[in-house]
This record gives sequence, C-alpha cells and structure tokens, in this order.
Amino acid sequence: MTAAAPATAGEKTAALVASVEDLRVHFELKAGVLHAVDGVSFDIADGETLGLVGETGCGKSVTARSFLRLIPTPPGRYAGGRIRFWPKEARQSGGEPVDLLQVPTSDMLDIRGNRIAMIFQDPGKALNPALPIREQVAEVFYQHRTEDLLEAWNGRAPRPIRRAASQRAGKLERLAFKFPPLRSQSKRLKRRVDELVGDALAETQIHNPRKIMASYPHELSGGMKQRVMIAQALACNPDLLIADEPTTALDVTIQARILELIRELQHAHQTSVLYISHDLSLVRRICDRIAVMYAGRIAEIGTTQQVFHDPRHPYTQGLLAAVPSFAHRRGELAAIEGTVPELIDPDPSCRFHTRCAFATDICGRVDPVLDGRVAGRPVACHGYASPEELGVAAAELPHLDRSPA
Amino acid sequence: MQIREYVIRRLLILPLILIGTSLIVFTLGRVGGNPIAIYLEHEMTPEEVAQLEDRYGLNDSLPEQYVAWLGGVLRGDLGFSGVSAAPVMDVLPRRLAATLELSIAAAIVAISMGIGLGTFAGARRDRLPDHLTRVFAISGAATPIFWFAIVMLIIFWVYLGWFPVGRSDATIFASIPHPTGVYTIDAVLAGSWTAFRDAIWHLVLPAVTLGYGATAIITRMMRSSLAEELNEDYVDAARAKGLPERLVLRRHARRNALIPTVTVIGLGFGFLLQGSVVVEIIFIWPGLGRWMADAVLRGDQATIMAYVLFTSILFLIVNLIVDILYAYLDRRVVLGG
Repeated sequence: MTAAAPATAGEKTAALVASVEDLRVHFELKAGVLHAVDGVSFDIADGETLGLVGETGCGKSVTARSFLRLIPTPPGRYAGGRIRFWPKEARQSGGEPVDLLQVPTSDMLDIRGNRIAMIFQDPGKALNPALPIREQVAEVFYQHRTEDLLEAWNGRAPRPIRRAASQRAGKLERLAFKFPPLRSQSKRLKRRVDELVGDALAETQIHNPRKIMASYPHELSGGMKQRVMIAQALACNPDLLIADEPTTALDVTIQARILELIRELQHAHQTSVLYISHDLSLVRRICDRIAVMYAGRIAEIGTTQQVFHDPRHPYTQGLLAAVPSFAHRRGELAAIEGTVPELIDPDPSCRFHTRCAFATDICGRVDPVLDGRVAGRPVACHGYASPEELGVAAAELPHLDRSPA
Repeated sequence: MQIREYVIRRLLILPLILIGTSLIVFTLGRVGGNPIAIYLEHEMTPEEVAQLEDRYGLNDSLPEQYVAWLGGVLRGDLGFSGVSAAPVMDVLPRRLAATLELSIAAAIVAISMGIGLGTFAGARRDRLPDHLTRVFAISGAATPIFWFAIVMLIIFWVYLGWFPVGRSDATIFASIPHPTGVYTIDAVLAGSWTAFRDAIWHLVLPAVTLGYGATAIITRMMRSSLAEELNEDYVDAARAKGLPERLVLRRHARRNALIPTVTVIGLGFGFLLQGSVVVEIIFIWPGLGRWMADAVLRGDQATIMAYVLFTSILFLIVNLIVDILYAYLDRRVVLGG
C-alpha cells in the first residue's frame, strides 16, 4: 500500500524526507469510532513541496498533526501505519529513518520545532496572547540551540546559566540572575537570544524586528503575526515544514506575500514543505506534487501538472470542475452532488461511491487500493483496478472513460 | 506608567465610594434601630433618655447628624464603642490586625490550593483526579460555613486535639511586644520561635475553614479555564516548538487560565470577609467580625459604622490589586474607568 514514487526502491529512500504508510488515526467517540484518517500513504521527497488538498474535515489536518504527534490521545488513537522520517544526517549518510509514531517522547520533543516545524492556520490563535513576541520566538532557541546560545562561554558557562539556556532554571536561579555575579552573564545570554530572535524575524522581512520583539500579538496585524510564526518555524532550519492552511485566515493581498515568503525561505533553507489547503488555485501555485484527500483517504497523487491537466480520480475531476476559471462561463460551475459520508464505523467501500457518477456495485463493497500500476500514478479507484486481483468480472468495475451516467 | 495613573485615579475615587457606603449604612442604622439602644436600661426615666438623646445629638436633623459623624471620622474619632467600653479607635487597630491576619492566611490557603488543585484537575480533564477535585470543589461551594466550622472544631479540637481554638496562648502572647498587632509578624519581629509557632498553630484551623469556600470557587474557575485554554491553538503551537509539557502548562496555558481566575479571587475575598464573622465567632478569634456581631446584637452603632467603613476599604483595596494583576496578565486590557 506504499505510494509509489517514480523511482526504484533504493534511490527512493535516499531522496525522501518523510514517508507516510497506511496511516490510520481514529477517534473514540460516544457514537462510535471515527475513522478520521483511514489508510493514508504518501511520500515527501527532499526539497519538494507536497500539497495535501481536500475539503474541510477530510482528515488533512489530522494527518499533518500526526507528524508531530499532536493529536490528543484520548480521544484520538494512532490505529495503524507509520510515518518514517529521515533527518538530514540520515539522508546524507544513508542512515535509518525514525518512525514518528513510535519514537520516545524525549526524541519527539527534539524533533518538534527543530527537525519538523509547523505553521498554523490562524496566526492570531497560534501565538500566546499573554507573552511578548520575543519570548515566544526565543523558546525555540532555548529549546533546540542551547549550545549556540552558550557559544561565548567556550563551554565554561556556570551551571545556572547553562540551565537558563535550556529553560530549566528554577525560581531561585531566576532570582539570582537579578544580582551579581550572575547578573551580567544572564544579560549576556539574553543579548545573544535577542540577536538570534532579531535575525530570525528579519529573515521574514520584518523591518523593525526590535520593535516587534517587544510587542504582544494583539498589537500586530495578521500578516505580521504569520511572519512571526514562519520565523519561529524556520529558526532551526527544519528538514520539513508543515504548513496547515497558513494563509486561510489572512487577507487576500497578504496571502500572496506570505506564500511568496514561504517559497523563498524554503529555497534558502532547503526545507521540504507539506502544504495543506482546501484551496486548489493556491496549491497549484506553490506545490510540486499534490495529494488529493477525500474522507480520510488519499484519492490520487501526482505532479501538479498531472493532477490539474489529467485528473484520474472521479473526485478530483469533480473538484476541478468546481473551480472557477476564465474558461468557464457564468453558471457553468459544476458542484459535486451529495455530501461527505459519515466516517463513524464505516464499512469497506470507496468513500466517494455515494457521490460518484461512475460507481458500480463493487465500489460500495470493497475498499479501493491506492495503486500506481494501471493509472501510471497512485489513484485509489476501482476504475483502474485489475479485475483478476479483485476476483470480479471486468464488467463489474466502473468505466471511467465513458461519459458519466 | 499607565498602571500608575490608573492606581492614582482609583485611589482618588476611593473616598467617594466610602462616603456612599457610609451614607447607606448610616441611613439604615437610623431607620432600623436606635443609636443609643446600647446605653438604655429599663430603670431609666424618660428625662434621662431625653438627656442621653440630647447628648448624642439625636435631636438634630439626620443630615446634621451625618455631617457630625463624618467630621469625627476625618478627625480620627469614630465614636465610642459600647460593646468594648472604649473609644472605637482604641479597639479597632487590634481587631483589624487580627482579622487581616486571619483573612490573609485564609486567602493564602485559598489561592495556593485553588490554583494548585485547579491546575492539577484542569490538566487531567475528565480523568479520576479531575472528578475527585470537582467533588471537593462542589462540596466546598455548597457547604454552609457555620456548619463546616463547627464540624472542623469538633473533629480537630474536641476529638483529635490537634489544634487549639482562640488566637493565642495568653502567656506566650503577653511575652512579646505587639507593634503591628499581627501576631505572626510580631513574633518574627521579636525573634521568638515559640510565639511564631503558637501563632501558626492557632491560625491553621480557622484559616483552612475560612479558606475552604474560596478554595472551592477558585479551584472550579481555574480548572475550567485551564481545560479551555488547553484546547487553544497556541498550546499546540507551543508543543510544536518542542517545549516539554511542563513548560507548555506553566508558561503558556496556566498564564492565560489565570486571567479569569484572578477576577474570581477578588470576589472570593468578599466571601472571606463575610465568612470571617462566623469563623471568628466559632473559633473565638478576637477580630472585626466577632466585634461586629456583638455590636449588631446589642445595637452598638458606632462599632457597626467602623466595621463597615474598614471592611469596605479592605474590599476596595483588594479589588484594586486584582484589577492591576488582571491588566498585568492580560495585555489586551486597557485600564480605565
């Protein structure tokens, strides 16, 4: 069930940053088990931007959060699959990947914000209203760049300073920092942090980083807040940046600039990006490849070119028909009939079969497999499946090449 | 800067609020009772009563009487306390100090236990520790203090004998000077370990009893607001930065959860002042509340007025502190009004 990339297995692992295999995230609710993510597989190659597209509630955010194990458990449960991740060192030396769903918590803390960073949908909510910007950005350095902060001490920093540089100083130590002899050293540490925070902010084209550092989130505009979030996310040069609808909450004019900024910094930092969005036109502008998600599963994966010009899955086809463009005349936009199915204790079936114009009997009985063999790239639709493997007659499979019924 | 202006403005308004409070109390006292009731005896002749009324200016109009009282207050003369058989100003400082000591101790109990328990429960929402804490908190809010105080007294004084009643051991109390009137502070000033231990030992039971109700209120507020804050995006964002759960809770969620809790602490202090009357009576604590209760029962108006005046000042100061804390915690708040 691995998503096939167009390369052989050996080369493939060397070029990957992350590989999601048959990921299943379930939520135990009173009404039953919600299969929010139900067998999702895709790869993210080194340096690429992969778009994960789908409508609200299709499980794309849950998938993204699973990378950092941010799903609250309970009620959530990682019911199966794995997310393999190759940090820079592993990629360069051909080392083993780590399974993000299995690594111990302490390793996870070291990955979060350091190797994999995340930008959230609404920067107004993702920044703590009670802390000045400086404190919030500084946390990343304290957490992951302790050695860097202590550079000036040449490894001879006194214990309390070392503890302060990794956010472990207790109340008494913090009190001691207000008095000599630690006072000047603690100030030096603060200055070093200020420097790094200022640089990180300046990199996101914030022109007056010092002023912004002293501000509280409510004093900044939405675009400025998202810049702060981006600065914070890229501060440690992560291998993978997960952007969960980073421009949805922003004004359209700001959106373009933030998008541009993400792309620029991605190149500068050589970071791979998992870009989550429901906005097809936006994804088209910045993604190398696109994975289309529907009701907890991947419908199809392809390069941006392939997905937009040659959509294979009926859902993608419907989705593209619903995107307005200059080619459409007024009133010509096609909506997909029906609604997204309930994902509580679902039976095996193609999740799209109730809304699919091509659906046959088998679509309501058997889970389609994300298979790249027939369609040339991974598509989860019985229309591309081989009748022998399913054990049915070819006539029972949906015929996608005929015009919809 | 902004906070300083705000404090000055609030302090300037304080006398006006106090005048308003005293007007209401004064009127209620004159309407509902006889100001010289405490001095009247059955054997008195009408002439003697008239003489008394004349002496206390009761034949003047009510506004004149009020102005006369207010003039006294401004000169530092709060009248003569019938129940204590001494000028109010001679008795008040000692009583005020005793009540302050008790209510501050109760507030320390309530705030530390309330925030601690609330954090504990809020971070473990819907699990066993949370349920137990909620049972504790709901019983605290629902238990009438007069009943609870008596139960505490019976268990810890009568049966177990762990804690004494009253404020002090008389000989130990007399052995140190009392410059502030607050026993614990006086003991520290005198450097007497024996006196300090005696003070704390007497303080524990009434302070815990008095603090229980407020603890419950603060716990419930802290629990629910922390549980709510933990669902916010910035908490996930803090986790996504790689912060350990301890810092996510302390630096991020708890700080924001404290904002609504601080408001409740201000209200809780009013709760404490109210409860202190009952607790002081039951634990034989020589504070303002007990004094006031005696005064009410015997119609001693000078004492009642003094009580109202000083508890109002206390309440207003505490709420001023709460407002300032609030603005400190929530930077979006612009102080004013």
